[in-house]
Amino acid sequence: MTRVLSWLLSALAIGAFGFLLCVFLFQSGPVWQSEGTRYITGVSWFYRQDVFGALSLIYGSLAVTAVALLLAGPLGLGAAVFLSEYLPQKARLALKIPLELLAGIPSVVFGLLGIALLRDWVYRTFAKFDPLSGDTLLTAGILLAVMILPTMVSLCDDALRSVSGAQRQAARALGLTRAETIWNIVLPQASRGIASAFLLSVGRALGETVAVFLVIGRQDNNLPHPWYSPAPLLEAGQTLTTKLGGAETNIAFGDPLHWAAIMGLGVLLLVLTAGATCLGTLGRRRHA
Amino acid sequence: MRRGLDIVMGCVAGGCLLACLTISTGLVWSIARRGWGALSFSFFTEQIALVGASGGILWNLVGTTVLLSTAFLACAPLAVSLALMERVWLRSESMKKALRLGLYTANGLPSIVFGLFGFLVFVQWCGWGKSWLAGGLVLAMSMLPTVTLVVLERMAAIPQRYIAAATGLGLSQSQVAWAVLLKQSWGGLISGSLLGLARAAGETAPIMFTATIFAGVTFPKGVVENPVLTLPYHIFILAQDSFAAGVETKMWGTALVLLGLVFSMSVAALPSRLYLHEESDV
Repeated sequence: MTRVLSWLLSALAIGAFGFLLCVFLFQSGPVWQSEGTRYITGVSWFYRQDVFGALSLIYGSLAVTAVALLLAGPLGLGAAVFLSEYLPQKARLALKIPLELLAGIPSVVFGLLGIALLRDWVYRTFAKFDPLSGDTLLTAGILLAVMILPTMVSLCDDALRSVSGAQRQAARALGLTRAETIWNIVLPQASRGIASAFLLSVGRALGETVAVFLVIGRQDNNLPHPWYSPAPLLEAGQTLTTKLGGAETNIAFGDPLHWAAIMGLGVLLLVLTAGATCLGTLGRRRHA
Repeated sequence: MRRGLDIVMGCVAGGCLLACLTISTGLVWSIARRGWGALSFSFFTEQIALVGASGGILWNLVGTTVLLSTAFLACAPLAVSLALMERVWLRSESMKKALRLGLYTANGLPSIVFGLFGFLVFVQWCGWGKSWLAGGLVLAMSMLPTVTLVVLERMAAIPQRYIAAATGLGLSQSQVAWAVLLKQSWGGLISGSLLGLARAAGETAPIMFTATIFAGVTFPKGVVENPVLTLPYHIFILAQDSFAAGVETKMWGTALVLLGLVFSMSVAALPSRLYLHEESDV
């Protein structure tokens, strides 16, 4: 009885997730047929003309994630080094609590904080580049950096502490200073775990919707010219998630091709986040 | 020189930690400071009026509670079953591994994806329209991996000799599952659910297409076309609106209430979470 019940319920749960995948793949079918690879490489998205190129959305997602990672990566790693290498156990646990709380702030509240605190700051700080408003890719990236910071610190801390204490003691006994031990022994040995911390944070950053939605400006077709130009960072943009969270999702339903284009963004998002999370998890497992 | 570098390294790392802590406490403080003024008894007992500029958030609280209870009821049996599956029923090691990897990956899926899925399946195909049930089920899906992983972690921490003893006494697998595994890990179900619910309570993306509207409803009376008001969606809409002074205070007040709700749930789950985290790395 117990056995049958748990098989059934597990099948239901796994079936629901499988169904989710199938729904996204099949519903996005028409756009892959109609646009082909142009769906990913196309630079313009004009749904009234049935032109669907998601490149600017992919760029937006990657750009905000890159900004977030550049800011939160070093800061989070530094904080994790201090937590795991310098502090005694009790202080470590005590200091992790406020960080866990930061992780608990709902994303809509982060969005609100972004509007209240960050938007004007970005506008004023970068005034000499003459941004149109404070709603920019950069604002979204900075906000995301704060949001992924707790994940970053927590996972890097785990990675660092998985290096055995005997290694540290041996290094210190050989006369290395604490800093040298960290640079030469701890960080190299924890590098796999740190890499997976970065990947898991990337997964979180790519999938974040509401907070980014509120501060990114949501302007379509914003791409850099030439491709390495940082100029679009100070302009409004759009990511995969903000497109999906916007009103266009409601408009699209009913028009098969437009709806397929929206679901196709879901597929892209699923592939990117699942890829990052899956790789990160595998790295973490093997490392631990 | 070496000594100097040692000190510099300590200072830089300490500075990073200090910055992280300042950011986290600073943000919480700035929400509390702005929202404190809105809190009063009537804020919790009145319904919304004047597009959020007046009145309270009674039905938003009720709606969020309805969604969370639905999500918990739908999620808990599934999470326990999946955990039992991994611990007891699945025989092959590679299947177990696949299940765990699947759970970790599903745990990282963006919540907007669940929202779109719910919109298509429940709202459109099932014809429920925006409904509390659709929202509850979508939230249940989004929190299922978290809850399952916490239950699993707790079950894996049960000493092997308990299970050996139970088996030795002649208990069948099902009896072992009930008498040892479930009995010893129900705390994991509670703390896992609290963690999942804390995250679900603040989610906007999964429910904005499936379950919630801004104003005009009270307690749901059926399933079809019965949306609820919720705290996160209230903030989401007001945040995009003009910042009239009255609206602003109420908005931050709502944010503070939501934060209080989320924090109280995650603080309740915190001891077991920190403890498990520490143990699992030894």
